[in-house]
Amino acid sequence: MPRVLLVDDDVELCAMQKEYLEAEGFAVQTAHDGEAGAAEALTGQHDIAVLDVMMPRLSGIEALRRIRQSSRIPVIMLTARGDDIDRVLGLELGADDYVPKPCTPRELVARIRAILRRTGDAPVAEGERTHIALGALQILPEQRRAEWNGRVLELTSTEYSLLEALARQAGRVVSKNELYEIALGRPMARYDRSIDVHISNLRHKLGTLGDARSPIQTVRGIGYQLLVE
Amino acid sequence: MDRLFWKIFLSFWLSLLLGSAVVAAGVYLYNQSRADEQREQQGRVMLRGEFSLRMYALLAEQGGVAALRQAEAGRKDWELPAPMVVDAQGRELLGRELPAGLVERIRSDHADLPFPARSVKDPQGQELLMFVPPLESPRVRRTPRNPYVPYLPWFQFAAALAASLIVSALLARHLSRPIEHLRDAFDTVAQGGLGARVGASMGRRRDELAQLGRDFDHMAGQLQKLVGSQERLLHDVSHELRSPLARMQVAVGLARQQPDKLDTALSRIEREADRLNELVGEVLTLSRLESTAQGGALAERQDFVDIAELAATVVEDARFEGADTQREIRFDDGNIGELVMPARGELLHRALDNVVRNALQHTPERSVVEVVLRQDRSGGRVLIDVSDQGPGVGESELEQIFEPFVRGHGEGKGYGLGLAIARRAIEAHGGTIVARNRRDGGLRVSIALPVPAAEVPPT
Repeated sequence: MPRVLLVDDDVELCAMQKEYLEAEGFAVQTAHDGEAGAAEALTGQHDIAVLDVMMPRLSGIEALRRIRQSSRIPVIMLTARGDDIDRVLGLELGADDYVPKPCTPRELVARIRAILRRTGDAPVAEGERTHIALGALQILPEQRRAEWNGRVLELTSTEYSLLEALARQAGRVVSKNELYEIALGRPMARYDRSIDVHISNLRHKLGTLGDARSPIQTVRGIGYQLLVE
Repeated sequence: MDRLFWKIFLSFWLSLLLGSAVVAAGVYLYNQSRADEQREQQGRVMLRGEFSLRMYALLAEQGGVAALRQAEAGRKDWELPAPMVVDAQGRELLGRELPAGLVERIRSDHADLPFPARSVKDPQGQELLMFVPPLESPRVRRTPRNPYVPYLPWFQFAAALAASLIVSALLARHLSRPIEHLRDAFDTVAQGGLGARVGASMGRRRDELAQLGRDFDHMAGQLQKLVGSQERLLHDVSHELRSPLARMQVAVGLARQQPDKLDTALSRIEREADRLNELVGEVLTLSRLESTAQGGALAERQDFVDIAELAATVVEDARFEGADTQREIRFDDGNIGELVMPARGELLHRALDNVVRNALQHTPERSVVEVVLRQDRSGGRVLIDVSDQGPGVGESELEQIFEPFVRGHGEGKGYGLGLAIARRAIEAHGGTIVARNRRDGGLRVSIALPVPAAEVPPT
């Protein structure tokens, strides 16, 4: 049973969401402020955390920062509609996806499932188990791990999924739509720049090629491409 | 540089030029008339000298020096200039004092003298030199010129022109620059940059322009504060509206997911709808109060309120509510009797009600909320203290609890609007409201309302 951590200061809302999620087959635990939420997320007992941005004491953003210092647990941010800054900031800090609030519980469940499907312990298909080596880049699908020049990269699950998707089609341009499906498990929404933020994070974590270019190139209007040396 | 600069510059410069031209013309005309007068006077003097000399010459030819001596008295009566008479030996014969060197000058240079002179033979055949000495005119002393400034009329003219240009430009700049700064600041504000200030660019000016700059800064500050508070309110309101909406959405989801729990879900939705309704009502009250507080439109729709009666009503309602949970309300009306003042009764009621309910909410069960009404010594103000026995709030939050959507600690049921509404309502009546932690625990909210002097009825 996937274990979900809900962090929201609205106690009543949390209780109702918990009820809904439990009926959908999740094990749910709740926390009502950023501090408790971050501490709970860091216990490693949850498969995914859903963080509200607006919380007293420690905001969702700060909680996320704290979580990302030592954990790669998938995180979905609940951001208020219209607060684009929170959204981008959240993604830049390593959130996997965001859901605008208020949202229907069905949508929330769909997002949680999508992320879990990509990152969870779902058995890796036989054909996808092979280890990928591309110049300085090594990808070990079984451990969901990537290395650059022998150094292990600290990637969030979404970043890893993106990198793996690009690496599997190295040298080819992968469309943004495809990347959304693979990494976030959902189609691209209008004005959604989540993938771009994730890619930008990924670029920072990867090194550069011999000619100082980033191995991930933007192909305007289409998508991204992983260069092979 | 803008038009204002050129306007000030040109008008000042032209008036400088015009002024100096008028002064120059005046000086020129004055000098001219002085010179004319002098010439005329000189002419008159010459004429009288000539006349006197001719008479003496005739007398000397007829009667010699003796005749001249006799003529002296008559000459004095006629106030004619006194001619000098010098013999061949250079002695003056009428007892006058000879200016040194004058005789030699006349002898050597007979023809071209600036005063009348002639030589005559008396009946004895003695040669006499006669003349009227020139008037002693004081020498005009020229101040020595500065050797470093070349004496060229054109140079002086150019220097004066340059000086007037510089002075005009400086003055124009001095006047137009702050106005330009102001204009820029207005532009910035018009484009939404409410942080624009001009104070710094005014430097150490003390004049009306600097005052205008300070007024502008004050205005921009007020605007910024007002817009800021409205923006914050809007932001907070949208966030507050979202919470009940989010709960409604989840309730709908739950009803879909578990049709057997439809009833619970529906009553939840109903509750949230009520909350939304209440919230919207409070927000509207608050925003209406904000605009009246700023616009001062409150005075128009006033009625007369007996403050003690109003307080008693509020306390009665609250007592009823607190009875369930054994929270008691002690009311002391301070025996102020009937105190009728012009006010918006409904607003004042709401303000006091919010404060009392807030106290009731935070005071623990089986404890007492005290409401004390009294009039200050001068009788100019009514003071209402509402004290609870709850946990109080942090010192830093004493001011903040009157801001919209700020809730104290503990399980507040409201939206954090009650005290905000209370403050605005009290302030709209010209009063003040402050919160203090009591020494023996709990919070005391003190309201002070001014009582208009004319409205205090005789007791």
